[in-house]
Amino acid sequence: MADLSNLAGLGSEPSGQIDSSVSSASNRSLRLAEKEKRKGEADPFGLAVKYLSQVEAGTVVRGNDELERNMVRVETVALSKGLPPEVITVLLDLALSLNAGTANCTRVLKFLIPATVVPQEAIVKGVSWLCVGKMPMNAQVLFVRWVLTVFDLIDCKDDLRSIYGFIFSFVTEENLCPFICHLLYLLTMREHGELMTKWFNFFGRQPFLTQLLALYKVFRPDLVTLSLPSRVRTGFKNHNSTWKVALSAVQRKNKGAVLVDQSLSLDVKEKPSSRKRKLHHLAIPPLTSAFDSNSSKKVLRLQELRSFKELLENIHNIELPAQMGSLLGSALALHYLDCVQDESAFLRLNFWLGHSLQEEFLLCPVDGSSDNTSEACRFLSTILFSQQFLQEGFSSTESFLYKFLSVWDGCLLRPQILDLLSDIPLMPSFYMHKLLFEPLKQLYFTSTVFFKCSVIECLNSMLVKWLTWHSVSASEGGLDISLNSNSSMTMTLSGFMDSVMELVRFVGLLASEGLRLESCHVLLLNQTLAFYETVCDMFLKFSLPLIIMPPAGVFYPALFATDSVSVDRLGYIMYRYRKNLTLAKKQEQQREQTFHISRNTYKEFNRNLQAMVNSMWNSWWCVPGSDIEIDKDLIALSKVAEPWCRFDLIHHPALFSYAIEFHQRTGKYWNWYMEFLFNQGFYGLNNFIQTNTGHGSTLNSQEDGQPKSQP
Amino acid sequence: MFKSSSCFIFFWLGVFLFIMEGRGSAVNTPASRPVTRRSKSYGRSCVEAPSYFWQTPGHLAVLKIPNSRGTAKSQTITNKVDPEHIALLVKNEWKLSYITPLHHFRHTRLKSYSKHLSAFIVAEKQQGVAVEVGLEAGFKVTFSAVLGLAETDEDAETVFIQIQSKPVFAAVADAPKVVWRGWLTCVNGDLEYLRSLPPDFVSLPLFCTSGPESLTTLVKSWFERVFDCNFGCLALNSTTLNWLTALWTGCHPTCNIRHLKLAWSLPTQPPLDVSYTVNPQDAWELWNSIHPEESTDDRIDIQEVQSFINGLEAHFFRHFKIFLSAGTLVKVSTALGSAHVDGKIKIGNSDYITTLLTLLTECALLKMPA
Repeated sequence: MADLSNLAGLGSEPSGQIDSSVSSASNRSLRLAEKEKRKGEADPFGLAVKYLSQVEAGTVVRGNDELERNMVRVETVALSKGLPPEVITVLLDLALSLNAGTANCTRVLKFLIPATVVPQEAIVKGVSWLCVGKMPMNAQVLFVRWVLTVFDLIDCKDDLRSIYGFIFSFVTEENLCPFICHLLYLLTMREHGELMTKWFNFFGRQPFLTQLLALYKVFRPDLVTLSLPSRVRTGFKNHNSTWKVALSAVQRKNKGAVLVDQSLSLDVKEKPSSRKRKLHHLAIPPLTSAFDSNSSKKVLRLQELRSFKELLENIHNIELPAQMGSLLGSALALHYLDCVQDESAFLRLNFWLGHSLQEEFLLCPVDGSSDNTSEACRFLSTILFSQQFLQEGFSSTESFLYKFLSVWDGCLLRPQILDLLSDIPLMPSFYMHKLLFEPLKQLYFTSTVFFKCSVIECLNSMLVKWLTWHSVSASEGGLDISLNSNSSMTMTLSGFMDSVMELVRFVGLLASEGLRLESCHVLLLNQTLAFYETVCDMFLKFSLPLIIMPPAGVFYPALFATDSVSVDRLGYIMYRYRKNLTLAKKQEQQREQTFHISRNTYKEFNRNLQAMVNSMWNSWWCVPGSDIEIDKDLIALSKVAEPWCRFDLIHHPALFSYAIEFHQRTGKYWNWYMEFLFNQGFYGLNNFIQTNTGHGSTLNSQEDGQPKSQP
Repeated sequence: MFKSSSCFIFFWLGVFLFIMEGRGSAVNTPASRPVTRRSKSYGRSCVEAPSYFWQTPGHLAVLKIPNSRGTAKSQTITNKVDPEHIALLVKNEWKLSYITPLHHFRHTRLKSYSKHLSAFIVAEKQQGVAVEVGLEAGFKVTFSAVLGLAETDEDAETVFIQIQSKPVFAAVADAPKVVWRGWLTCVNGDLEYLRSLPPDFVSLPLFCTSGPESLTTLVKSWFERVFDCNFGCLALNSTTLNWLTALWTGCHPTCNIRHLKLAWSLPTQPPLDVSYTVNPQDAWELWNSIHPEESTDDRIDIQEVQSFINGLEAHFFRHFKIFLSAGTLVKVSTALGSAHVDGKIKIGNSDYITTLLTLLTECALLKMPA
């Protein structure tokens, strides 16, 4: 045991080992003390509170660095996280007893921000300090104001009510009177009726007195004989200015922490804090039961569910909440939403969501203040989360997006809007132009290159979602795809293919024009190639019998790119195209499928392949009759030596640096160079060269079978 | 439609110009958003082909915002509707909101709604007050159905809500005072839209309120919680105000409109408010020259309305060299009623209430989210 404790960190103390007579019990206590000590070290706040609790009357304050240091420590925690109840008691006692001096009394009161609740006994004790009468007046006022501020946070008010008389006695104090009246007003119960009248004439009609008196009159009209105006303006002012900002900050923070804790369980949220805001449409409503919820039937309310297991066991008797929007507030409720079949329920959800989005983004101009945007951002993120969770977009989000795209500046909440856009489900190609492509095109061509990248990325993700959906529903049944898990609406395979074709063509247009405008910006080129990585594999990966080649405006910039990544990606894409086309041809010959890939696609592929192989492999760059035929004289003007081999594997601007490096390592043989090149991670090029020329490294050769003849 | 300027035979009664500085920002006329509406519903994913049609902005404007409507017809509404109810609607200035369809609303349960709403208001009002003030601080809410305002079978009957309160510090003898009024209505709502709703929804798209904002907020949040609906401000765009100007002017022969008052706000620096009062007879003659009374077709075309407003504006320009069309029409008022661009109306004459409510119902339905 002694050894164990040594291992646990007591090694520095030799006594533990030497003194064998120490009993195991005392050894343990030693360990505990040590542990305590270390815990204390780890928790400077606890130590500081402990120190402050031991400050005695008559402690020197001026120049007391230790006191100051501990005070600062507690103050920092108080203002950032708030103080736990027991610390409030300690500090209030320290302050009001004036043990740490008068200046520190007000200082402590000012940072006395409760994290959760204020224990009642702290206040009672405080009032008793008030009765001692040592405190200066401004400290007394500050104390009562503080009590008023945290009044709603006091855990229980019984004892306070029982010292009502003591509190009441301070009414005679001229400066304290308004605050005391307010406090009494908050504390007054029916039985406190008698005390007040006699003071009234003494002070005259101060508004705060009138207010308190009016309350007395309600309870005991027989005792308060004075006539009071029937409509009394609120006579109490807010006294919370000193603490307001800090208190609300701490409360917001703590609430956030609690919400994070129960991410899966249902957040039965408190009233949205933005209630005061006139436009409160961005708050997700709390889960509540419906107005006419049938109490006789044994149903379970969603807000009563605590775990996924409970949800599964009760899935048939769960009652829908009063507001469908509240389902978006918790992951557990989303699980339930996934099982809901009720048409009206979706309609309610869509009305709510559509209304919220419309009010925030379409009808009310966004004032651009950061607060507003962050709220909107949170809201959109919640929707996004829900949609990703359900793997389906809400129809009201979709129709909102169609309207919003035409007024969007392309800037406001861009990541969220584009993410939502990528969730748009498949739609007939006829509508795509009007609703999606036209507004998007305008934004695309008038925005920065980064926006262009985001748009291509977004459309890529949209395409992937459509294809995944197709491959799932196609495997479920037949060629017709159910457009919607709940309706009978279907779309024919050819309709689906039309839509996909439109989308791919549209991106082809955006990409080639964009690349031209941005002079082949490398990021844009890579986003574009990422899109074509999805496109080239549609047949093999998603069993969609559709093969679309990239336009020249994409192919050639990638082929002649100056960065090796793009060239490598293009190699991979061409390799995948070849695989897809080979399989398609094979199936067509075997008459397994009725589809038909047009001759033009093969032609286009072969032309691209030829261009690529010629320029990279055969050093035979400018083939007459190809897409990029350039007049010989024109090239001669450029005075480039041996122009035909400028884009082969050695001289290609993207690979030239590798060739130099290889050369410096005294490499000579072509095959060694290939090996070297492919060892740099150019798997796409490797695959491409290997399938199309039969050459290449042995790195991945087992994967793609026998070499194919050159086209 | 009217050939030359010689047909401006009316004279203007008075034009008041005044300039107000430091005024609140001019009210933006919200561009009328196309409705998107689905003829049926909708899983969480989209879609039925027709619904795209609704969503197409170009189509929609043409399709949904009517280009012509019937002339305002006087009907003695008190034959159909309880005169006491009508009296309640006519007195006040109403602030307009639109409201999405109510889920599980039943006209048979108005009594329990009354109880529930008053309890709700009391509970909300007492929050943060540590005293138990007892029931005398209570609010009394009354829901009642105003039967007869509905025009078609699809229109739900109008619901009127009244909140009475007795202040805490009031004398025993004081009678409770009406502190808030509001009503939900639907008159001549678009049939296709109303029929497309599942049976457990009731559409009462127009919500008019009069009373303190705090109570309006409470009532709205109660409705939102109980019927899972949502409210939004219903601002009246200039097209709507133009329609009202023409419709009301057209009533002059049958019912004296007394005056036609129009207010414009011009985006100058400082902003310029123009108040333009036209003699009712002159206004009517201009209108009659555009839309002859004896025309067999009792429908009014949007072009006629536009010509009418253009005529009024042109006349103003001749005198003051100010293009009113550069500004926004913010208010129109006659003896039959008034309407403000902010979404505030007053009903002056109950006989033309149906025309007004039809127009407003249409505006509210156009705001419905998809």
